[in-house]
Amino acid sequence: MSVPRVPTGIAGLDEMLAGGFLPGTANLVEGAPGTGKSTLAMQFIEHGITACDEPGIILTFEEFPEHLIRDAANFGWDFAAHQAAGRLCVLQTSPEVTLADVRRTSGRLETLVEQIGARRVVVDSLSHFERLAANPVELRLLGFELINALKRMDLTAVLTRENPALLGETSESDDDLAYVADSYLLLRYVEIESAVHKALLVLKQRGSAHATDIRQYAITAQGLEVRSRFAGTHGIMSGTPVMTHTEAFAAAFLIPGKK
Amino acid sequence: MADDQDAAAQWMEDIDPRLLDLLRTRVNTFIKWDVVRFFHANPHTADTADNLARYIGRDVRVVEPELRQLTQAGVLEAETLADLRIYTLTADAGTASLIDSFVRACDDRQFRVKAIYHVIRSLRREKGQP
Repeated sequence: MSVPRVPTGIAGLDEMLAGGFLPGTANLVEGAPGTGKSTLAMQFIEHGITACDEPGIILTFEEFPEHLIRDAANFGWDFAAHQAAGRLCVLQTSPEVTLADVRRTSGRLETLVEQIGARRVVVDSLSHFERLAANPVELRLLGFELINALKRMDLTAVLTRENPALLGETSESDDDLAYVADSYLLLRYVEIESAVHKALLVLKQRGSAHATDIRQYAITAQGLEVRSRFAGTHGIMSGTPVMTHTEAFAAAFLIPGKK
Repeated sequence: MADDQDAAAQWMEDIDPRLLDLLRTRVNTFIKWDVVRFFHANPHTADTADNLARYIGRDVRVVEPELRQLTQAGVLEAETLADLRIYTLTADAGTASLIDSFVRACDDRQFRVKAIYHVIRSLRREKGQP
């Protein structure tokens, strides 16, 4: 029996996710500044509206809606028209207001979901919840509460989170929402031969198979484009991978100009 | 000299009467102007005075009373959620249309000059100055 999917519209990523996210799930996208978290999230919304007849809501805790709409336009996504057509709502608010709102019955968000028939939601970014609680356990509970409220509204969610580490290992703490999210995507910078590349990894997808290899991706004029896996190197997620023995041998002795 | 002043004052009054009334009675301070422009650009925003002040880059102690006045004037709506006071743009279509006209008119430099004149006059009146 095939399970319905919620495709992101990012070809390589949907293939990694075995077709897309599972409906009604909360999906965490984490990465350093500039890795394309918000772009991925906007692309998820754009694809939902234009290709899947699934209106969406973007909750932004940082970027002004007018700026977000302008950024989307740079990729050819007409969020202003979607808003005018009642297929999208970009809602600027704060974590404390959002939590208070979703706790009540028929809150502002729930009413909006009903009004536009929203099926997808983006929360950009969860990192702002850190100002609500210093205690990691409490912070995790707040995240859990938000995720459950979005599920109650039958929304498929993309939740972004910043990771301050540009390269190298990232630290995980007790507050880690990766445990409560249904899937966990990691966007990383990787340094190879003095050039910075971008790497994407699906660390988990609850209830579904998913690709476990690390793929290269780029932010193009059309949005995110997931490409082939990194070949000939290992230690990608360390941020500074090294060549495999075979590649190192080839570079040293077989490939002209590579010495 | 007096004729020149009269002509200047007359020129300042040469504004769409609805917008003139808005400037005299509702958007009569520069903070309120900032708030109205912000909500016009971000009409679905729902937030506290603290956060709204942060968004427009002003001091919350200055912004909060202005938000209350804009609420009384029907430009904003306010509700209490848990222990938070949340402000949103009014759902009234007539007021929303008026605000849209105001913000669009502000694209014109001449209108802005007139609007600034009226806001300064309102602020002076508030302080009991001529």
